[in-house]
Amino acid sequence: MALLEVSGLTRDFGGLRAVSGLSFQVGAGEILGLIGPNGAGKTTVFNLITGFLRPTSGDIRLDGLRIAGLKPHAVVRCGIARTFQIVKPFPNLSVCENVALAALVRLGVRAEAEADAERALKQVGLGDKLDIPASDLTLSDQKRMEIARALATHPKLLLLDEPLAGLNPRETEDACQLVQAIRAGGVTVVLVEHVMKAIMRISHRVVVICQGEKIADGPPSEVVADPAVITAYFGKRAR
Amino acid sequence: MKRVLPVIAALLLLAIPLGVSNQFLLHLGITVLMWTILGLAWNLLGGYAGQVSFGHATFFGIGAYTTMILYLSFRLAPWYGMALGGVLGALFSLPIGLICFRLRGPYFSLATLAVAEIIRLVALNWESLTNGPVGLLITSLPQVTVFGAAINWERKEPFFVIVAVLALCAMLAAYLFTRSRLGSYLTAIREDEDAAEAIGIDTTRSKVTVLALSAFLTGLAGGFYGLYFRYVDPDAVFLISLSVEMVFIAVVGGLRTIAGPVVGAIFLTTIAELFRERFMVGHLIFYGLFMMLVIRFLPEGIWGRALRILTGRR
Ligand SMILES: Nc1ncnc2c1ncn2[C@@H]1O[C@H](COP(=O)(O)OP(=O)(O)O)[C@@H](O)[C@H]1O
Ligand SMILES: [Mg+2]
Repeated sequence: MALLEVSGLTRDFGGLRAVSGLSFQVGAGEILGLIGPNGAGKTTVFNLITGFLRPTSGDIRLDGLRIAGLKPHAVVRCGIARTFQIVKPFPNLSVCENVALAALVRLGVRAEAEADAERALKQVGLGDKLDIPASDLTLSDQKRMEIARALATHPKLLLLDEPLAGLNPRETEDACQLVQAIRAGGVTVVLVEHVMKAIMRISHRVVVICQGEKIADGPPSEVVADPAVITAYFGKRAR
Repeated sequence: MKRVLPVIAALLLLAIPLGVSNQFLLHLGITVLMWTILGLAWNLLGGYAGQVSFGHATFFGIGAYTTMILYLSFRLAPWYGMALGGVLGALFSLPIGLICFRLRGPYFSLATLAVAEIIRLVALNWESLTNGPVGLLITSLPQVTVFGAAINWERKEPFFVIVAVLALCAMLAAYLFTRSRLGSYLTAIREDEDAAEAIGIDTTRSKVTVLALSAFLTGLAGGFYGLYFRYVDPDAVFLISLSVEMVFIAVVGGLRTIAGPVVGAIFLTTIAELFRERFMVGHLIFYGLFMMLVIRFLPEGIWGRALRILTGRR
């Protein structure tokens, strides 16, 4: 059985169908890339899975249990954590406090939460910036901190919304290694990107969506050669 | 040392009626302490949780009317009435919270304002319960003897002791709150509500809980108001200006401080006493001006700045 199973997922905003009958699965231990041009509906899919939006119709199951329609905090407790496309740190708190809060919700004991936060921050390479206010970090470090915060909830599944956007090539390379390390640590990862290059290299499988519908699903090498994908990304003439 | 200071301050406060017998000064003290409770209560929600309410007069009025009605209709002693006033304020806050917390930021604030105005109009028109605009009057308080001596309710001393104890309890509650898990969760909510949900915090439940706590303290203070002044009417206890005065105290004293509301209450009382007699509603204008000055030059509040200087932070 797949870890995450999305079937017939649909979401309307007024007259706009942002996600349309979308079905896909994520197997345990995978890195799945979810790609598509800007406005394709990727963030909306994340918001639906994590409970920030309610589906118009369709089903979402984690380990076979229905999670569609749960509130975000309940989804987190089921084992799905996320980051945001536009980072959402707790800006006036220190890096350590940001992550310790997530651990506190799970553990309930402050001292343990802090130790857990430090561990998560070391894992993402922010071990030397514990006491800096989150708002003073660079974008790249804020994204790392958000990943650490998500990891501190001890998820089975981690959803990353454009973790590479806005990073320079060096930072992109580091972030890719981090994602691979997280997966090696036993956490399944779904990555959203609209740029293809890096994601093709680290994803085991790629789902492509365009205008809310799935147009391709398979290993990166097959997907890049898929005519529908090429049309979606580069227009008809590219063929 | 840090632990001993608040205890000494508390004992000194309780000893004031032993040394001060001037009734007007005691009246000022009582007013300051009552406002302190209100500022503390508002601060829990507005300061720590970042949810700015313009409708706290609702809970104050409910507390005051509960105390009055229970005493006048059922002869329930006002101190029990006060506690029940707090409880009823908290109960009322649950539906209000569930409605208003569907909104965020300024929309939430406006919703609290609207709800408070509705409740004021209900109190004004539900004459069988509230006696409408005429209000309710307690002519005499029940006999109480402490250590063999009957308490003289015509003096200010007993009221000073009661409100001082309430204020100290409120401060202790606020202190414990800041160290609780709920306090941490609300910090997260104040910083970023979506991120708070995303780490597993039930934001609605946390906000409703702190609102209930805040409404309880506000209702308690309202009950004390009824006990002390022995008269309430809708314009005395349900007015918007009352809600605004609570904001004033918390902001001027210092958001997210325990002692700040004391400082805010002292300033509020001083301005009111200086200007109320001379101008009809002039004191309201001076509250506004004063609050603007504080926000402009001391955004962390008077006590907030003092603390920073005293503890030598940055
Ligand atoms: N809350 C919302 N209300 C209305 N329309 C929305 C909302 N969120 C997203 N949309 C619309 O849904 C479509 C998909 O958006 P989004 O999921 O953010 O795309 P992507 O993340 O793939 O760039 C866009 O047309 C966007 O304008
Ligand atoms: Mg997006």
